[in-house]
Amino acid sequence: MPVAMPVVLRAKCVVVGDSTVGKSALTQVFHSDGTHFPKAYSMTIGVELCVKSVNIPETSNSVELYIYDSAGKEMFSDHVQQMWDSPSLAVVVCDLANEKSLSSCVKWLERVKAKAGRDIHAVLVGNKTDLDTRRVVTAEMAQKAAAGMEVVYFECSAKERENVEAPFYFLANAFYKQYQEKVAMTESLCE
Amino acid sequence: MFDVALSGAGAKVVLTTSSDENYPPENMLDGKAESFWISTGMFPQEFVISFAGMMNVSKIKLSCFHVRGLSIQRSVQKEPLDFEVIDERELTPSDASLQLEEFKFDETTARHMKFIIKSGFDHFVSVHKLNIDGTAVREAE
Repeated sequence: MPVAMPVVLRAKCVVVGDSTVGKSALTQVFHSDGTHFPKAYSMTIGVELCVKSVNIPETSNSVELYIYDSAGKEMFSDHVQQMWDSPSLAVVVCDLANEKSLSSCVKWLERVKAKAGRDIHAVLVGNKTDLDTRRVVTAEMAQKAAAGMEVVYFECSAKERENVEAPFYFLANAFYKQYQEKVAMTESLCE
Repeated sequence: MFDVALSGAGAKVVLTTSSDENYPPENMLDGKAESFWISTGMFPQEFVISFAGMMNVSKIKLSCFHVRGLSIQRSVQKEPLDFEVIDERELTPSDASLQLEEFKFDETTARHMKFIIKSGFDHFVSVHKLNIDGTAVREAE
């Protein structure tokens, strides 16, 4: 029997959150498989695009994530939102050493959802677990915020390369499942 | 007048921007609404149909699902090049059944047609049946 050609899905994954929470660090550490952590801060202007393929376990299929690492500075807000047409997925990032960055997350998710016009899979990521002495956002606070936003919560340290893949893998798998459900639904529609 | 977009009439899908071999592009040209081609994520998506020869196209009937912005273009060149827009519109949403859309043209010739799906009502969109009414244009040797 011939081997089936793998299916490659494509998802537009928008990374949002206040400035300096570590969106670019998270994106770049994930994109480089942990080999590149941007040590010096460089403000993102507009949107930076990274493409990363995620294999779906127990299949030969994959999801190509088109990661839109978006500027967090309010000054660029109108500009970056123009790049968010038809988003598939959202990663909302906050800094665990900055309580205000957590409360902004609701606003960021709403902005992405407004561009989608429908519910999309999203995650809340608490970054900088390495700053344990300066940490002000507890896991409970973040969990509660995530529950309010109806998303799953992940904690990571881009600097220490800890748990950086988990939120992206989660979203890629959720997107893959969404595709399977859509295919099944479309099939049942034309029976 | 006959369906010039049927595989049986010599039409071929020469390009699609998504591929899942369980739902191949040929499904759009088999005359059946049950089988379909489905996009695998993100927009825009497009596909190009090449006819057996130059055709005079009068009507297109499209069965699809969750397609929103659609642009239809034609090319009269031997190769699928120099496309020009012949219709562009937002389709009506439909959640529990397929969308059935009709596009009418007068005196429109085409050797190739490109369909650009600019946006959708969902992450993934499917095209089930493409019916193009037309006649072959007599061509000088």
